Amino acid sequence: MAPTLVFLEHHEGELQKGSLGVLAKAASLGGEVAGVVLGASEDVAATGGAGSVYLCDDPALAAPLPQPRVDALEALVAQTGAETVLFAASVLASDVAAGLAARLGAGLNWDLTDLRVENGELVGTRPALGDTVVADVTWRGTPRLGLVRSGAFEAAESGGRAHVVAFSATFQDFSSLARLVERTQEVSAGPSIEEAEVIVAGGRGLGRAENFSLCEALAKELGGAVAATRAVVDAGWYPYAAQVGQTGKSVSPRLYIACGISGAIQHKVGMQGSGTIVAINRDANAPIFDFADFGVVGDVEQVVPKLTELVRARRS
Amino acid sequence: MRKRPAGVRPADYAPPFGPSDVVSAPTDPATERIEVGVLIVGGGPGGLACAIRLGQLLEEHPEVAEKLGDVPVAVLEKGKQPGSHLLSGAVVNPRALRRLFAGRLHMEQLPTYGPVHHESVYLLTRNSAFRIPPPPTMRNRGNWVMSVSQLGRFLAEQAEAGGATILPETAAERLLVEHGRVVGVRTGDKGRGRDGAALANFEPGGDIVAKVTVLAEGTQGHLTTAAIDHFGLQGTNPQVWALGVKEIWKVPRPLGRVVHTMGWPLRKSARYGEFGGSFVYPMGKEMVSLGFVVGLEYRDVELSVHDLLQEFKVHPKIQRILAGGERVGWGAKTITEGGFLSLPSRFNAPGLLLVGEGAGLVNVPRLKGIHYAVESGMLAAEAIVRSLQPGETPTRAGALDTYDRALQQSYLWADLREVRNMRQVFDRGFYVGGALASAMTVSKGRLPPQDFPNEPNASAPLLRSGRAASYPPADGRYTFDKLSSVFASGNRTRDDQPSHLRVRRQVPRDVAEMWSWMCPARVYEVGEADGDDTVTVHLTPSNCVQCGAISAKGGRLTPPEGGSGPEYTLA
Repeated sequence: MAPTLVFLEHHEGELQKGSLGVLAKAASLGGEVAGVVLGASEDVAATGGAGSVYLCDDPALAAPLPQPRVDALEALVAQTGAETVLFAASVLASDVAAGLAARLGAGLNWDLTDLRVENGELVGTRPALGDTVVADVTWRGTPRLGLVRSGAFEAAESGGRAHVVAFSATFQDFSSLARLVERTQEVSAGPSIEEAEVIVAGGRGLGRAENFSLCEALAKELGGAVAATRAVVDAGWYPYAAQVGQTGKSVSPRLYIACGISGAIQHKVGMQGSGTIVAINRDANAPIFDFADFGVVGDVEQVVPKLTELVRARRS
Repeated sequence: MRKRPAGVRPADYAPPFGPSDVVSAPTDPATERIEVGVLIVGGGPGGLACAIRLGQLLEEHPEVAEKLGDVPVAVLEKGKQPGSHLLSGAVVNPRALRRLFAGRLHMEQLPTYGPVHHESVYLLTRNSAFRIPPPPTMRNRGNWVMSVSQLGRFLAEQAEAGGATILPETAAERLLVEHGRVVGVRTGDKGRGRDGAALANFEPGGDIVAKVTVLAEGTQGHLTTAAIDHFGLQGTNPQVWALGVKEIWKVPRPLGRVVHTMGWPLRKSARYGEFGGSFVYPMGKEMVSLGFVVGLEYRDVELSVHDLLQEFKVHPKIQRILAGGERVGWGAKTITEGGFLSLPSRFNAPGLLLVGEGAGLVNVPRLKGIHYAVESGMLAAEAIVRSLQPGETPTRAGALDTYDRALQQSYLWADLREVRNMRQVFDRGFYVGGALASAMTVSKGRLPPQDFPNEPNASAPLLRSGRAASYPPADGRYTFDKLSSVFASGNRTRDDQPSHLRVRRQVPRDVAEMWSWMCPARVYEVGEADGDDTVTVHLTPSNCVQCGAISAKGGRLTPPEGGSGPEYTLA
């Protein structure tokens, strides 16, 4: 039977959590599932779970550019007869998925938040109308392409090494027209909010920009990252890169500590995939307490430093 | 003259803004301009009817089509797609749509929720509802319930099938005028940061030049208002607006009739200047749309149409309709209300035509405007084709006058003339206004014979009466706060773009608080006191659903980056 392919994105020698989550989900649906790693070493590819991983390490794939990846995936779909290709949404994966859809004339469902098999058919779930309703989506034909919302699925723990199958592809002339000129990275102290296991987020209830240091201290103790709401990013208290919510990033850490955040739906949709949600807010009627697992009604200026102290004491 | 009441006037705090901010000559070199035949600004019923009618006429007149080049008809739409920014009741008079699709489509083939069979009008008090006979202007037998955003998407498909090119996510930012003739528009830049600097995905706007430019921008048209000023086309009275906020509900029981209400929660005394009412329309068996509309001449600092709609929904009469239901959509938009006496003195200038609501073609007593938009769009198309006949050119002064004549000979002109004073008399309060309006109806507009003036909305002096005390708290089931409502509008505008709202940031507290209550999308927040009785105003422009209320009440809405704003689907 033709395998379901999952595009595994890598960054600095590490496969990305989001795409491993999609791989885990795909494996849970039954049938043969294989990862696809492009432009990395065999050692990196081997960390892609315990099943098989297709690897193409052609130099054309060295830079993280979409078009050569479309060529490689097109070749692999042709070689394996794969009927489904899944992606975890990222800037690169979205470009590749769109390009592959155009190349294969295939249907692409995007922004998927869940996948299931019903009567032998793959069915995706997609929020619509601004997340107010959830729609089931299917594909009219094959190959089916699916782009999964970032952070939708958790990666499975896997001790094993993947069985790596090398494949080769031919690259179109136009695929080499874009060149990678330079890579720079925004310097930040901790892990990025998309990858962090723990997030301490601050909102307008912090009172002033300086109080973000309270969140930073707690995040440091927990080995986590600091996130912010739209309102405080707007006010210039924290950089846009840390914004969580509808118009910022979607995150799914194991622990999300919301400090002085009221919990407007625009924020909720960016963090509702978090494992455990802890809210600290002075206003007992704040909507965040409706969906937090634990809540503290109190002043963040008092509660957060105490919490930081407790964590520090417990750790030492 | 009646004595002017005291109170701060928002008009006195208008930001510096004038037609010269919007009207300019082309700046791109001639070789880089995009050339189209007819350029239509706005993918609503007016602009799209114009595009569809042009497609029909160009098929009959290939020699005219030839003159218009490779892209004979282009429609600019600032929303993500046609319909994204369209919001209305809407009970539509089918007359103009029937003419548009004569011999091609029946009303049954359009996206509608069927014709109106039953209707009731109520006068509300806090706890009761008195059924009254519908005033003749509010009878809706034979009209059809529609979603205007669905209609927009349908008309866009029809226009494209007829050869029009639709350019969504494209804001028309400037009107290009050269030697007294309109030659096209300049589109807005995309990908600028909050401080205006170009981001990585920056795309500059460009000059689009055309033989004729049709402004079909709807309420508070950015270029339309500037064109009226630039060419001196102001009407007898200043233009005025109302603000409507509406919701779509899934309901367990079909409504089966069109409902309008007057009275509560608005106050009837002339002192408050609260003119408006509600509508509840069935959308098939499973949905209703309901909304509340208030004229923007209101005076109370704490008046919030969004919160009045929430208050209206807890009335027992309305609760019976909504019980067990679920809100599935929300939106807000202004409605042009000046009527006949606020119409521009002319509807064309060399190379330019004004159609639809942007040109003021709305019948307030009848609560109708969509059929006028469609009709005027078609008449504009017909005038354009006449102006492209051999020996004529649309940029010659007077070449498009046949459009004005066609409007004046059309039924919409007679309709509007008959009710020309009806809106103004409600500044005398609900009962006196109602009595005068009845006299006008009975006499078909002949009594009283004179024309009544009005004042710009922003000139109404503000007052305070503790109005907000009666607004219900949001329970998340039947009543909602503004932020969750903005979410339900589908708005996911990029935050880090330059502000598209022109308002003064230091204003008297009354003005700042009035904006914060008025805005249904919570764009304006009252900041810290600034000495001398003024406060700082904080803005969250990405919440904006582009309703246009701010332009009527002392500020100015301009189009943000194309593709921003709400994503209405059922509105």
